[in-house]
This record gives sequence, structure tokens and C-alpha cells, in this order.
Amino acid sequence: MTRTRNTYLLIVGLTAALLVFSFLTSAGDLGSFGTTVLSGLFLGALYFLVASGLSIVFGLMDILNFAQGAYFMIGAYVTFALFHSNMFQGIDANLRFPLGVIVATGVGALFGVILERVLLRPLYARPVFQLVLTFGVAIVFGEALKAIWGTEAYSWNPNTSFGIHQSQFEIFGRQFGTYRLVVIAVGALLIVLIGLLLQRTRIGIIIRAGVEDSEMVSALGINVRAVFTMVFTLGCAVAAFGGAIAAPFLGANLGMGNAFLLPGIAVVVLGGLGSYTGTAIGSFLVGLAVAVVAKFSAEFLNQTVWSSMTPMLLLILILLLRPSGLFGKESR
Amino acid sequence: MKAVKTQPLWRRTLQSNIGYLAVVFFLVIFPHLVGWMTGDSPFGVNGRPRGQSVFWQSVFIEVFILTILAMSYNLIFGFTGVISFGHALFFGLGGYIMGLALERSGLGAEAALLLGAVIGVVVCGVLGFLMGLVSLRLRGVYFAIFTLAIAEMVAIYIGRWPVTNAEDGFPLANMPELINPTRNRLTYYYLALLLVIITFLFIRRLMNSPTGKVLLAIRENENRAQAIGYNTLTYKLLAIALAGMIAAGAGMLHVILNRKVGPEILSVTYTVDPLLMTIIGGVGTFSGPIIGAAGLHLSERIFNREFVIGTTSVNIGENWSLILGIIFVVVVLVFPQGIVGTWTRWRSRRGTARAPAPTVRAANAGD
Repeated sequence: MTRTRNTYLLIVGLTAALLVFSFLTSAGDLGSFGTTVLSGLFLGALYFLVASGLSIVFGLMDILNFAQGAYFMIGAYVTFALFHSNMFQGIDANLRFPLGVIVATGVGALFGVILERVLLRPLYARPVFQLVLTFGVAIVFGEALKAIWGTEAYSWNPNTSFGIHQSQFEIFGRQFGTYRLVVIAVGALLIVLIGLLLQRTRIGIIIRAGVEDSEMVSALGINVRAVFTMVFTLGCAVAAFGGAIAAPFLGANLGMGNAFLLPGIAVVVLGGLGSYTGTAIGSFLVGLAVAVVAKFSAEFLNQTVWSSMTPMLLLILILLLRPSGLFGKESR
Repeated sequence: MKAVKTQPLWRRTLQSNIGYLAVVFFLVIFPHLVGWMTGDSPFGVNGRPRGQSVFWQSVFIEVFILTILAMSYNLIFGFTGVISFGHALFFGLGGYIMGLALERSGLGAEAALLLGAVIGVVVCGVLGFLMGLVSLRLRGVYFAIFTLAIAEMVAIYIGRWPVTNAEDGFPLANMPELINPTRNRLTYYYLALLLVIITFLFIRRLMNSPTGKVLLAIRENENRAQAIGYNTLTYKLLAIALAGMIAAGAGMLHVILNRKVGPEILSVTYTVDPLLMTIIGGVGTFSGPIIGAAGLHLSERIFNREFVIGTTSVNIGENWSLILGIIFVVVVLVFPQGIVGTWTRWRSRRGTARAPAPTVRAANAGD
């Protein structure tokens, strides 16, 4: 019990340290402080969408899916292409975007089923090759996107976009995109929904039991393989959904996959193996850390290199200092 | 083994390595062969590095570099069973250190080359040692993540480092005349070939030594190797540090050949390439990385043009990485032991094998 209490103290301490640091370095400018925190939450929401699938799949099936970043990227590209395609310009922009997101999520789910059923299933006896395979699949997806859409980095023009994306709101005199608030809200909603799925439904109970001991679950007569497929598909779909809702802000480019995969892995390791609470909290911690460092290095060090290095740095530190993460089991 | 014991040692050695010797012989005469067939001298045309022979020399030097890199990766992934996704770190750092020594040290070309080679190998060896120390706590997938994170971090940092001109990198002009790949490419070709042979013999000797057997034991079951009484950490450290040093050498050869140092040599490409080459060629075999590197790089060269099928033309070169990725996925699924492993198994199953090749089972042990 003391360990759990220490964990919560650690989380509160880290969050407070990040906030205080950000507040002090913003030199009393509340607007700057507010936008930094909000960007942290925005990034955290996106990290959660990548990391939740990674974490549950890792806990349940012992597969670290290196292709998760590619699913995020697929979601962004599909949404971008559908929204800007000439074929669908007749549909109102406010309707076109949600439809694009739904299709992108569906595409992610479809590729998720294919990956698990066709490629990973024959390899459960050889875990090393599963790892290497998802790495290869990530390359294939990246190269396929490159073959279809080229190496160009697409950015989403807010002027021709849907309603919410065009509007801004003011926080202590600073402008902040309303759409990014929506993303934070959607992220929070999904945390609750997936949490409810895990806690309150029969399938959730099976998943949680499987994380503990999947052999025992299958010994009880439950088709664990079917649960594996479902969870894997869900994880890929959520990642694609994340990419889809990030597209209006981030656009679509080939670097997105890795830019979200490594923070996602950092979140999973920080949260602790297979711990859903850890993943949810870890996402926002990592997001906040990246935003605070980005702000600090842009303002005081005049370079952006540190913010792109933050997720890796965090990952290395966590692995070295506390490889079991916040909520992981002490011994592994 | 007993039947041939009456024969002298040199003869036995010759007989068991006849395939390798044939390949080496072919590679030695290859530049002259191309020169003879196309009429372009292997030393260049009109005193300039032009012509088919010189072109193919550069293709094969790149194959040699990738072979060395793949062999070093095979040492840790194939033989020791440690997965690392950060091999590009050693390759790139080796290249960067060599580049800095040649361009920024202010020494003469020969001295700078020697200095760069020594510092690069030592730095990468120490780095491999330090990363290996971490493998004490982090096993399997955790170590893979750790190496990936370190490699990515260094790649991002050096990609924006003003000292090395950030993402532009810097050209190499100062290099010893004897191995200058522009003017004396043939010498450089033979140097690279020699280094491949040395690396190959070194790794084979290592794996046939008692130390090598412990590495194989770690791959098969680390806990059991520990229980027998081996300090597995020491052996893993040795393997990772050695692989880092060899990869650094490959990176040095690469920057000298291309006469340019840039952050692309630290990119994940140079982690993916040896991984693909090792697995497609045959993980945990001696000849697998060679076949993988040669096969992949040469087929990339050959298919790097447009093919006209009926009315549609397909530019395979543009989509080569995609095809490579698909080949890789298929190999992992269907032939996890790669070309060499599958071939050996097929031959021994048919019972036509005279003696089983010195290959070992693919690394299928878990973490």
C-alpha cells in the first residue's frame, strides 16, 4: 500500500514540478503559461491514443507493436486525403471531417485485424520474430504511404476547414485553437470509455484477467485468441483515430509515425507494464513535459532540438531509474 | 571428421572453405573481369574515375560495407540473441568521428585517418560497453526500446548540431592519396574486401572459440547459461562492444567512400538495413549476412530502373523499400531462418548433404 501511495506522491510531485517550472519561466505571463499547459494536455491526449493500444496489447499479448506509429500516420493521411479530395467537396466541411475520421478509424481497424490475424498469429511461438515483424510492418506502411502520397509534408489550411477548426478562444490574452481543446476533451472521453470497457464489461474482465495470466484464462475455456484479435484491432483503431483527429492540427507527413511512436512507448514504460491507469496518467505527464521543455528551449535556448529529444530522454531515464514504471509490478 | 584426419591441415582447411575461397577469388578478379568485358580499365578511363569497371567497384564497395555492418549485427542479434534497434548509432558515430578527424584535426591525411580509426573504434567500443551494462537490468524488448531511444536521440541531436553543419553535414576532402576512392578506387576496393575477410574470419574464429559457445548458450537460454556458472553479462558486454566497434569501422568506410558526412548515416535506415539483411540472409549463420547484404544491395541496383509491362511502366527503384519491406515480412513469416538456414535445412532433409554446413539454429529463444 505504501508503494501505491508513494506512486501517487511521485505523480503529484512531478506534475507540480513541471507546472511550477513552466510558471516561473513564463515570468508572470499567465497567457503563456496557460497555452503551454494546454499544449501539454493536447499532446497528452494524442499520446494517450497511441499508447493505450500499445499498453493493453503489450500487457495482454506481450507484443510491443512497433507499427502503432504507422497506424497513427495512416489515420492522419486518410483523413487528410478524404477531407481534401475533390470527390467529396460537395459535402459540407462540418460533416466531411467527422466522416473522414470514421473512415480513417475503420481503415486502421481493418489493417489491425489483418496484421494480427495474418501476420502475428503464426508467430506466437517466436516472440523475437513478432517484435521484428511489427518493425518490418511499420516500414511497409511508411513506404506504402510514401508510394501513394509522396514525400511531401501536407499541412491543413484552417481557412478552408470546418467550423471549430477556424475558431480561436482567448486565455489570459493569448489565442488558443478551440479545436485543440476539443481534442483534449475527446482524449479525456476516450480514457473514461476505455476504462469503463475494461472495468465494467465482461470482455474487459477477460482482458484484465488475460493481462495477469492469459494461459489460465484460456484454460477456463475462453477463446483468448479471439480476445487478442479484438484488443489488437481496437488498439490500432484508436491509434488511427488519434492520427485522424490530429490531422487538422499536424497535417500529414512521413515523420509523424516515429514522432508519436517513441513518446507512446515512453508513456507505456512510464505507466508500467499493462497498467491502464499508468498509461492514462503517463500520457499527460509526458505531454506536459514535452510542452514545457519545448516552450523553455524555444524561449531561452533558441533551439527546438530539446523538445524533439524529450520523449527519448524521458524513456531512457525511466528505463534506467525505474524500469517497472509508475504502476508496474516491482519484480519482473 | 575422423576420415579426413590423415590429410594435412592446409588441405582440410582448403576443402572445407572451397566455396568461400571461390567467392574471394571472384571478387579479387571482378574489377579486371568487368574491365576486360567492357573495355573500360579498372583504373578509370583517361585518368578519371569513369567507366563500367569503376562504377561496379563502387557498387561492390557499398556491398562490402553493408556486409561488415550486417555481420556485426548478426554477432549480437544472431549469435548472442540480444535485439538492438540502435545499430545505426555505432555506424553513424564511426563515420562522424572519422570525418571530424580528417577534416577538423588539422593533421596530415595519414595521421588523421589513423587517429580517426582508433578514436572511432574506441569510442564505439566504450559506448557499446556502456549500453551493454544496461542490458543487465533490461532484457529483450526493453533493451530494444532503450537502444532505439538512444540512437534516435543522438540522431536528432547531431542532425541539428552546428559543429557538424546540422542536417547538411560536411564534405571530406582531406584523405590519404593511396586509398582515395575517387582516384584510387581499385585500392579502396581491395582494402574494403580485405576488411570483410578479416571481419568474417574474426567472427568465425570467435564463434568457434569457447567464448562463442557461451554466446550461443546465452541466445538459447540465458538463465540456464547463468545457472551453469557463466557470468553472462561479461559475455554480452563483449559481444555488444565488439559489434559496435565493427559497425564503427563500416561507418568509416562508408563516409570515406561517399566523401561526405551527414546525419543520414545515423538514421534508422542503417539499423533497418542490417536487420533485414541478417534476417533475409539467415540469422545466426556465418554466410547469411553476406548473402543478405549482397543480395539486397545488388538487386536494388539492378531493379533501380523503369520496367515496362504491357502498357504500364513500373519504376521499381522508387518503390524498392516497399518491396524490401514486404519481402522481409514474408521471410519472417515463412522462412524465419532466412536463405542460408532454409537451404541448409532443405539439404539435410533431402539427405544429400555431405557434411552439415557450420550453421546454427535461428535465434528463436525469447528474451
